[in-house]
Amino acid sequence: MIVVDRARKIALVSQGAEQVFGYRRDELIGRELELLIPERFRAQHASHVSAFLQEPRARATGVGRELFARRKDGSELAIEIALNSLETPGGLFTLASIVDITARRHGEDELRRMGDDLETFAYIAGHDLQEPLRMVASYTELLAQRYRGKLDERADKYIFYAVDGAKRMQRLLADLQAFSRVGSQGKPLVPVSAEAVVKRVVDTLAGAIRRARASVSVGPLPTVLADEGQLGQLLHHLIGNALKFQGEAPAVVEISATPLNECWQFAVKDNGIGIDSQHMERIFQMFQRLHERDKYEGTGVGLAIAKRISERHGGRIWLESEPQVGSTFFFTLQAASLPGQP
Amino acid sequence: MTTPIRVLLIEDNPGDAHLTRDTLEQSKLLVQIAVVADGEEALDYLLGRANHAGVGPPDLIVLDLNLPRLSGREVLAEMKRHEQLRGIPVVVLTSSDAERDVVMSYKLGASCYVTKPVGLEAFQAIVKSIESFWFTVVKLP
Repeated sequence: MIVVDRARKIALVSQGAEQVFGYRRDELIGRELELLIPERFRAQHASHVSAFLQEPRARATGVGRELFARRKDGSELAIEIALNSLETPGGLFTLASIVDITARRHGEDELRRMGDDLETFAYIAGHDLQEPLRMVASYTELLAQRYRGKLDERADKYIFYAVDGAKRMQRLLADLQAFSRVGSQGKPLVPVSAEAVVKRVVDTLAGAIRRARASVSVGPLPTVLADEGQLGQLLHHLIGNALKFQGEAPAVVEISATPLNECWQFAVKDNGIGIDSQHMERIFQMFQRLHERDKYEGTGVGLAIAKRISERHGGRIWLESEPQVGSTFFFTLQAASLPGQP
Repeated sequence: MTTPIRVLLIEDNPGDAHLTRDTLEQSKLLVQIAVVADGEEALDYLLGRANHAGVGPPDLIVLDLNLPRLSGREVLAEMKRHEQLRGIPVVVLTSSDAERDVVMSYKLGASCYVTKPVGLEAFQAIVKSIESFWFTVVKLP
């Protein structure tokens, strides 16, 4: 913790701050605060400080953006700062609570690297394994084409299993590739009309909507920061699931959004078969399926992709569900602060 | 007497080579297919070098891009340098769907670019449509 006076001179220094910055207390007191700020940020910092002194209300800075301080040895550390003003008989002081987040940043970098490794693996698996598998699939199919009925019944069955397995593997690999593309082929986040995206997705699902005798209602939706293609993909998986896992009654799907801080919370609500609470985490993992293959088709990649997309957009995804009543999937997206838009 | 249509298939994957040849040979037309498995041998064939002396240029080339020794890209580039090879239509048939490969192939003079589909029937259908387009629809030089 550091206390600074109106002239931006350091008045008090906590023991923690001594440790973080590598200075002794007497080396800091009376010095300009700029001493602790890397040179490249000094001009910017001065304008922040005067803005704070003009309107000294408590605030946190650095949350969600990169902020750096400078140690005695010249090295930099990533920090977050919360500012409070102190009215004293001796004048106005500013109390800065500084948190060293270097370790957290490292953790985040490590996670990002792991994510990248996973994507590289998924790409290689999806692409390079597809080639030899194409051979297996093609030639077992050729066997089926040319020799079905010419061998005995058992041979036909063996060939069927081989073809079926190879085809399933091809779908898994294609889905793995789709998963890896979320990161590798993502586009920058720009203001996008979520309503227009949902309408387009609903149009492409017209066939499934007819089959599920479904009614789909779309509430007024905001403009958000998104990669339009990926937002479409995310909604396609959620709305598609709502239709696929329908209950006895005709499907009713509602898509809505409510403001939540600087985000929008979207909801895709259905009256389908629902999910038992014990499976709620599992369904977002790659290739996890809760039902037999002949009951509901699919490889179980949809929600893993949805989760990946939501993470790439800096949001999160979760659900509330009751078996035999229905599920509501929620996800958050950052609001696009366009003037005149909700 | 009908002269056979001569096709040079440049493909290093014996499985794909067999499937392509198998499908083309079911054509009602008289098609004569030669297969080479790498880019260098392809150029030997096209330029009548080494043990391909006197074979003469084919009517159509079906070219894979990922080849040992000389890649499909290098084969295309090399063909551009030889007057007698520039006029031969080249169908690129590859598993790559990368945009840069598509653009590069057309820049280097490929006549068309086809991605190998997943699934036997789709593959057979593609080869049949290559056959019907190039052997019956268009006029070859």
